[in-house]
Formats: sequence, structure tokens, C-alpha cells
Amino acid sequence: MLKLHNLSKVYRSDEVETVALNSINIEIEQGEFVAIMGPSGCGKSTLLNIVGMLDSPSSGEYIFMDEDVAGYSEAQLSEIRKHNIGFIFQSFNLIDELTVEENIELALLYHNIPASERKARVAKVMDKVGIAHRASHMPSQLSGGQQQRVAVARAVVGDQAMILADEPTGNLDSAHGQEVMEMLQSLNEEGTTIVMVTHSPAHADYARRTINLFDGHVVTENLRAAE
Amino acid sequence: MFQNYVNIAFRNLFKHKLYSLINILGLGVGLAACILITMFVRDELNYDTFWSNADSIQRMHTTFNVPGREPFVTVVAMGPAKEAITTYFDEEIEYSTRFNGLRPIVKIGDKSFDENVHWTDPETAEIFDFDMISGDMRETLRDTSSIAINETMAKKYFGDQDPMGKVMTLTVYGLQRDYRVTAVFRDLPHNTVLDFQALVKIVESDFEENFSFLFSQWFSVNNNLFFKLRDGVNPERVTARWDEFADNGVALPLQSLREGTKPSDFIKFSSMPIKDIQLNAVGGGEMKPTGSMMNVIIFSSIAALILVIASINFMNLATAKSTQRAREVALRKVLGASRVQLLFQFLGESILLALCGLVLGLVLVELTSPLYSDFIGKDLVFSYVDPFNLSIIVGLVLTVGIVGGIYPAAVISGFRPAQVLKANKSAETSGSAALRSGLVIFQFAISIALIIAAAAVYGQQKYATNIDPGFNRENLIAIPGVSRRGMVENQQAFKEEVLRLPGVVSAAYSFDRPSTGNESNVSVTIPGAETDQSILIGRQDIDFDFVSTYQIKLLAGRLYDRNVARDSWPSTEGVEAGQILEANILVNKTALAKLGFGTPEEAIGRVIRIGRGEQRQQDMTIIGVLDDTKFQSVRRQMRPELYPLSDSSYLNLTVRYSGDGAAMADQIRAIWERIAPDVPFNFEFVTESVLQEFTEEERTATLLAVFSGLAVLVACLGLYGLASFTAERRTKEIGVRKVMGATVLDIVRLLLWQFSRPVLIANLIAWPVALWGLSSWLEEFPYRMDFWMLLPMCAGAGAIALIIAWGTVGGNAAKVARRNPITALRYE
Repeated sequence: MLKLHNLSKVYRSDEVETVALNSINIEIEQGEFVAIMGPSGCGKSTLLNIVGMLDSPSSGEYIFMDEDVAGYSEAQLSEIRKHNIGFIFQSFNLIDELTVEENIELALLYHNIPASERKARVAKVMDKVGIAHRASHMPSQLSGGQQQRVAVARAVVGDQAMILADEPTGNLDSAHGQEVMEMLQSLNEEGTTIVMVTHSPAHADYARRTINLFDGHVVTENLRAAE
Repeated sequence: MFQNYVNIAFRNLFKHKLYSLINILGLGVGLAACILITMFVRDELNYDTFWSNADSIQRMHTTFNVPGREPFVTVVAMGPAKEAITTYFDEEIEYSTRFNGLRPIVKIGDKSFDENVHWTDPETAEIFDFDMISGDMRETLRDTSSIAINETMAKKYFGDQDPMGKVMTLTVYGLQRDYRVTAVFRDLPHNTVLDFQALVKIVESDFEENFSFLFSQWFSVNNNLFFKLRDGVNPERVTARWDEFADNGVALPLQSLREGTKPSDFIKFSSMPIKDIQLNAVGGGEMKPTGSMMNVIIFSSIAALILVIASINFMNLATAKSTQRAREVALRKVLGASRVQLLFQFLGESILLALCGLVLGLVLVELTSPLYSDFIGKDLVFSYVDPFNLSIIVGLVLTVGIVGGIYPAAVISGFRPAQVLKANKSAETSGSAALRSGLVIFQFAISIALIIAAAAVYGQQKYATNIDPGFNRENLIAIPGVSRRGMVENQQAFKEEVLRLPGVVSAAYSFDRPSTGNESNVSVTIPGAETDQSILIGRQDIDFDFVSTYQIKLLAGRLYDRNVARDSWPSTEGVEAGQILEANILVNKTALAKLGFGTPEEAIGRVIRIGRGEQRQQDMTIIGVLDDTKFQSVRRQMRPELYPLSDSSYLNLTVRYSGDGAAMADQIRAIWERIAPDVPFNFEFVTESVLQEFTEEERTATLLAVFSGLAVLVACLGLYGLASFTAERRTKEIGVRKVMGATVLDIVRLLLWQFSRPVLIANLIAWPVALWGLSSWLEEFPYRMDFWMLLPMCAGAGAIALIIAWGTVGGNAAKVARRNPITALRYE
């Protein structure tokens, strides 16, 4: 699915140079469920942003589905991103002024899909994550777990091949956190590649492989034995 | 605590530079506009309040209700009315006085000029207190050969010499007399309706022989007649009795007074306090152009509107920004601040901002007031020691600071700390967002309406100046004053010499020239008609070359012929009373309509009759019909006219030339000065004098354009600020949308649409209001542009507002849209 080769990210301000990622080599296969762990500031989120094409690497190669996208323009990246990658954030990032349904539909809005089909797909995915009864509610009227379910629905409604989840359970209590993890797991079982940043070892256990980052380096990669 | 407030206020001012800048700039411009307009309005409202007797001085007006035409309204009175009212209203009127500006030629040594000298009665010195430099006004006006001159005239003729005792010769209307300067007064201030350079005493016998109409006849109105009420007399006691006065006190020359009619049916007297004259001009005969209440109202409203727009900016930006202050408010509350304390803190901040705006505003006023004074033709200075001005300043700052600040202060101080400190919640209520769009709509509705109004005033002015006048205005020089002694005897020679100049195409004498506003009427009857009702028709005496010089179209019949004796106006010399004279006559198209003569062709050969005095009458056969010519202001209805071929009352020579006009005028001047060296030469280009009639409208249009431009500017400043804050507020949304695949263009479009909506809705409000207001404004013009012309103006104003709004929001939107979304999404 994707391959990072000698990939580095350096942030520069006037006086300091911060190396966020230092010559990282990672390969992720289609259908994998990968957890990325590490202490705060180790470069997890930077890695996720680069993988999600929201940020570009300072050097190195990024092969996504057999294309080296490292030098692509923003518009090209945006094009690849919107067809292939879905995002789930710690703070949900739902738009307060839009209803649940509209928030999910947003992911299809920029895809040239006719309105009727959009409606159908949104309805289907709302059923799937169990939020259909809240379709016309505003995000502020939902619990955290429900909001994250909406975010999940939004991430998958476009039939994205890969979902990037940045601490998806970080703002949730354990019951809701587990609910979301189970949802991700079932998505993975249906074939969606999932890359997740998390602090929780328990939630990392849902993944088949865990990558540990420290100071911009890959420290260990643990492969969980198949069940 | 206060120190803490001040610190925080100033730090906020500097921290949010854009916000502060927008507010201060908007307020500065708004306040400057307000102050400038206030100066104008205050000046207009205070005309003639400086006289000691201001409250008891009134002016008598005369209106003629002539059957068959609109009332002829004048602000002047008949000469004998002066004595008549003082006698009739003996208990009410203490003094009365006349002013009659005869424009004599003033000659000192070999210098001679036209001067604005007014003939007046000695009571002038009792009623008006002039600011004297030397001499005594009372003494001067009691003497038949003394003159009081103003400072400017003293300087002009005598330079640094003492003018007292100097002699000047005045020549006018058959009078020539030496006057000794016995008084010098300071120039009249601009804020009076009086206008003259010098005053001399009226001696009625001077004009008795040929010009008795000036002061001694009841049929002619040409005196500004002021009177002063006795102390404590209610003006009602005079105004209620004007009809009674007309019926009893006046020997009106209404020979045709029919059974059952009273003089007051035809003549209406009225009076007006001197302080009201400037803004309530009713008719012809003012000493100088007056102001208009309409303009005062219009500009006061604009000032208020601009201030409202600036205050709205203030309010909008403050509430939009309030989320940024939420944490501070929450903390202050946690630490024990009461809501009232917070309210005062934020009100104080907005007043501070308003103060900064005021400072900028005053700088702008100082910078622009010379230009502004010049433009509106008034000598206006903004004095900082004037209590009125100071109260205006303080009032404006407090109004704007409090009106603009109270709502945001109420909102901000009402934040609940628990909610705000929970971070992830937006502290803003949807209510204040809705209010903001409402206010933006309101701002733009005002701006759009103002743009439409400016366009309409301009359009009407263009329409009026470009309307086909019925003659060719180009290449015409009009020369007034040919009836003056010294020239009147040489009219024929003068014209012949002018015609000999190379480049002169033709030349014609006539009574009137374009744009003078003069009016001379005769009463016409139709012999054999069923009614004996007379019709009032304008009289314009012309010579043989008039029609060809002005290039007026002949609609039917023929022009005057030198070989037809009957074409010339017959003299009454030797004609017995009761006899009927005969002549041929040219009339204009409108006259046919008045007379009921059908088409021009049908009118040829019809006969009309006028009186020639001493029961003589004159029958005139219509031989030709001319197209209507707009010699008079297009602000008035076209009037019916007849054109006697009579050489006794020419006042003007009009010359049609080719080539350079200025050079032509110089050549004509040379001839004039040779033939009549004692008569000052004046001339005007007809195109210019027509344009001059519209200087007032042009001024209004320009001012309206400037101030509506300012209104739009201030509104856009607000929009810009609001757009930046909204973009700020929507950062997360924009980030999400971008992650979802939205392009920069998508985002820009989104933001543009958000701000286009209020502007579009503003159009829906502004259009009907502007259309309604302007169509009733246009009603006042007899010749007005088509109502439908307002529609493209509406569309244009809407488009301008939209484009400006887009320009304002677009750049900002693009900047925001280009930002990397992750910053927005990660760290909230």
C-alpha cells in the first residue's frame, strides 16, 4: 500500500531546527492494521500527517500505491487523498454548524457524486455505525462517543482504502473508546487499511503490528501473532 | 484596578492591530464626515440669527394667483406696500424698509464698474445693526446723496486711503448722481440672506418720470420688503390679516376685477421670519441663492447613517472578537469580578477606541475643511473652543462608544466561566452571529441606497443639462446691458460693427437671454371666444435675426419679413384711447396649447388680443409658430411665449460666432468700449450660463457621491474585519473541508458566498427604498429622466457593492484557504 524510504521531516524556525522524523523506513501492506506508539513529541503525528498527505516530507521517498508522491503539488496530493484516505481525529473535528448527516456528506461533496447517491451512501454508513437515529442532530447535541462514530462514518463513506486515526479514543471514556476500536477493527476485517496513533497499549492491541517511535526514529516493530 | 483596565485596554489595542486599525479608521472617517456635515447644517440653520432684532424681523412676500397658470410666487413686494403696511399695521409694525438692487454703474475718476448697490429706506438702520467701521448708517441713509459702502468696495476703489468723504457717481435708470461716502461697514457675513456692497437712500422722485415701477407703482414687485414687529407683538397678528389688508389697504390695479371677486383672490400676501428664509425659499426675487431644507435633511441623514455604519462595525468586530476575550473574562469572573465591573471595563475600552477614532477624525477634518469650505462656498472653520462643537465632539464619542460598545460588553460580560474554561466550546451564541449578519445587511442596504441616490442625482443633472433646449447653445455669446444709457442710443451701430468682425455668423437683439430667470408677461384674450378670460403669456421681444441666430425651428408659417410693415410692433403714439392696433406675431408651441389653437398649421391666421394701455387694444395675427425654447431653467415648466418684433425693450445682444470664443469676446469688448466707454462690458457663453444653473445640483451630486463613497468605505472596512474574524473562526471547518478534498477555490467560494448573501439581501432592501424615495424626488422636476433609468442604477449599485465586498473578502479568504489544514485541526 505504502512505503516510506529514508523519510525525514525537519521544522525550522529562525533559531532552532527540530528534527521530527529522522530517516524513517516503514512499509505498510494493504489490509494491515498498524498502531503507532511513542511518547509525546516523538513524531507520531508528523508521521501520520505525512502519510495522510497533509504535510510534505523534507527529504526521502513516499511511495503511495506505486507512485512516489513526495514531490507532488498540493492539488495533486489533495486529489489522491480524497479518493483514498479517510481521517479520524482525537477532537473529532466535526463542523458545528452542520448536522450529523451533512457532516458525513461533506466527505462526498468534493467528489462529483450526484446528490441522490450521496444521500444513499450516507444513510448506509450511518446505519453501519449506528448513528442513523441522530441524523439531523447537531454535533453539540451528541456525546463524545457518538461524535467519534460520526467521524468514523465520515472517514469511510467515500470507500477510502486507508483510514488514518490520530488518537481516536483520546477524548473518550473507556466504554466509548472500546466501541470505536471495535468499529475500526470490523472495518479492518472488511479490508480497510488502518493506521492509528495511540497512547493506549490496550487499544494498540487491536492492531496487528505496532510501530514504536522515539525522537523521530523507529525503535521497535512488534508483530502480534495471528489469533 | 483602573490601571489594570487601562493596561489591558491599550495592550489589546496594540495586540489586535488589524481590529484596532479597522475600527479607528472607520470611526475616524465616520466622525470626520459627521463633523463636516454638522458644520454645514449648523451654518445653514443659523442664517440671520446674528441680528439683534433677528426674532422680530419679517419679510413680506407676494404671490399672484393668475387664472390659467400656476401661482406666480415671489419673495418681493410692491414699492408702495412699505407705507401701506406700516399704516395698516400701525400697532404691530414698528419699522419697514425696502431693498432694491438696481446694479448701477459706479464711476470714480476714469474707473467704472457694475456694482451690487441696493437702494433702501432709512429704517434699514433701525432694523438691522451693521458692523460699522466708520461713519454712521443712520445719518447716511437719511441723506439723499450719501452712500454706505462695505470694506471690500472701499479697498477696491480707495486702497489704503480713507474712503470717508470720497465721491462716486452712480448711473442707473435715468438717474445720475454723485454720492459721498459717509459710512463704511464690514462685509456682510456669508450667513445672511442680505447681499449688497453698498446702500443708498431711495428717493422716489428720482425715478418718477420713466421708472416709477421701481418704487411707486402697485403693479410691479421688485423690492425686498422687511419689517420689524413692535416688541412683544405676535407675528400672527399680522399674518392672519394679510387677506384683509389686500382687500382693504391696497389700491390694486385690477381693472379686470369681475363681480364677486376680491383682490385677495388674485394677490396673496404673506410674510416669513428672516431666520427662516435661507432654508424655506419660496419663490423668485432673492438677493442671492438660498439653501434648501431638503439638502440639510439629506446631509444630516447621511451623517447619521455613516455614523451608524461605523458604530455597527464597532459592534460587529467587538462581538466577533469576543471569543478571544472569553478566557480573560472567565478568569476575571473566577477571581471575583462582577458583571457590572466587566461591563464598565469593556465599555471603557470601546470609548477609548472611539476617542482614537475621534483624534483621527479631527485630523481629517482639519485636512479637508479648507477644500470642503471652498467646495460648498462657505467660510467654515471648526472651532475647538466653541461650546457647541465641544459638546458635539463629546456627544459623538460617547454615543459611538456606548452604542457600539454596550452590546458587545453585555455579551462578553455575560460569558459563563465554566463553559468558557472548558476550552473546546465556542463561547459565542448563534444569536450574536445572526445579529451580526443582520447588521451587515443593514450597513450594506444603507450604502447601496446612497450609491443609487448619488447616481440618480448625477443622472438627473446630466439629463437636465443635456436636454434639447430647442436652440443651438454652442458658439453663442450673450451680452447683457445693451439697454444701459450710453449703449441704448447706439444699439444699431454696435450690432453693425459686431457683424463686421470676422468669425461673427450672426447677431440678434432680444429682451431676454438664456438662464436669467427673468419673466415678463402679457395678458392675452381671444377675440370672439366664448369666455373673456385672459391668458398670461410670456413676452420676449426680438429682432429680425433672433430666430436664425439662436437656430430655432419654425414649425409652421413664416418668420418676420422686413418688407411687411404689419410685422413690426406698432407704436401707440397718436393712437386714440379705445382704438385697436394691428400686428403680426410669432408664438411658440406651448402658447398654442394654452390658447387652444390645435396644431401649428391650424394656428396660422388665428388672432389674439392684448391691451396697450388707455383702453387701447391690439389684435395680432399669428403668422408663424416657433418650437419651444428653454431659455428658462429646466427646473420650471415650459412657458407659453409670444415674440414681438419690437426694438424698445432689448436688454441683450446675442452673437453666434465660429472659432475661438475668448478671442471673439475680446474683439466685441473692444467695440463696446469704444462706443460706450462708461458702460461696463459683460458677456457670458450660453453653454456656461446653462451649466451654471446646475452648479447647485452638481454640488449636491458630488457631495452625495463623496459621502456615499465614505459610507461604502466604512462598511467595507467592517466587512474586511468581519471576514478575517470569520475566517479565523471557521479555521477548523476549513481544515476539515480541505482534508475532505476541498480545493482552495472551493474554500474561497464558500467564504465569498457567506458574505455575498448579506449584500444580496441588502440589495433587496435598498432598491425599493431608493426607488420610492428617488421617484418622489424626481417628481419635483418638470423635465426629469425616465423612472426606469433608476433600475440600471440599482443593478449597478448592487454590483458595485458586491464587487467591493468580494474584493474585501476574497484576498483574505484565499490566504486562509491556502493555509495548511493540520494546524487548524490538531491544536484547537
